[in-house]
Amino acid sequence: MRKLIPLAVAAAAAVLSSAPVSATGVMKCNAGPQSGWKTQDALKAKLVKEGWTVRKSKVDGGCYEVYGTTPEGDRVEAYFHPVSLEKLYVARRGQVLFRKPGY
Amino acid sequence: MRTILNNRQAFWLLLSLPAILLVAGWWQGRIDSMDMLHPTGEWSARLMIFAMALSPLVAILPPRRWLNWLVARRRAIGVAAFVYALLHLVFYLFDMGNLDDILAEWMAPGIWTGWAAFVLLLPLAITSNDRSMRWLKAGWKRLQRLVYPAAVLTLLHWIWVHNSLTGALVHFVPLGLLLLARFIKKPLSQMKPQGV
Repeated sequence: MRKLIPLAVAAAAAVLSSAPVSATGVMKCNAGPQSGWKTQDALKAKLVKEGWTVRKSKVDGGCYEVYGTTPEGDRVEAYFHPVSLEKLYVARRGQVLFRKPGY
Repeated sequence: MRTILNNRQAFWLLLSLPAILLVAGWWQGRIDSMDMLHPTGEWSARLMIFAMALSPLVAILPPRRWLNWLVARRRAIGVAAFVYALLHLVFYLFDMGNLDDILAEWMAPGIWTGWAAFVLLLPLAITSNDRSMRWLKAGWKRLQRLVYPAAVLTLLHWIWVHNSLTGALVHFVPLGLLLLARFIKKPLSQMKPQGV
């Protein structure tokens, strides 16, 4: 029975090591080298023009991830393609509201 | 060394260390309210899992001094788990900033599970004092079992709010295995006489 404790530790270690901490795995953009990407400021400017409020943005899974409020007034987490700035995924607290087909 | 180790205040300080560092970072503007959510929630879950892991460990392992030492402090660990959950909720309210946004998302699977887990932990925290223990007698222990549904809700809250399994499972799978191990061991020990 005591074997179960090392087993639990090993299982935890296996899961930990298999997932890079930096990427959440929610979305992946294979957008090529960052030199070809548009800037986060460009994305923010575009979104603000469309009526979004942007609270925060960062890179996740090779996409731009934005926390903010949509023009419709929903507080969401959204992913955008860093080259085309196309909207790929919108979720409210993990509940998917929009997902571009193929992503 | 032993006096520090057995000092109640020192143990409380140890439990509040992550909170002190996090709140200090927030106070100085290094961490914004949104980024306080994950660490406060994660510490709450960790402490809850730690407190819950002690009784299966006692059942599985032969008597150990360090285990008794921890069991004697289980209530403090549980209260700390609640305080971190409270911090988690306070920073959620700070981050949301207004009631409309909070009401607009309460029914999201990742959100109502968090609220429900907190509601279940509330009576446990309120009755965590000696007077309530005496007053509730055997009922106190029964009431504490609310931590199991609260843990399930916390697990779901974590999975759904992140829309990802990894972080939540890394924390909860070890507890699940320990509970399973106790469950398997129980019938075995009932067949064999103890204390050989």
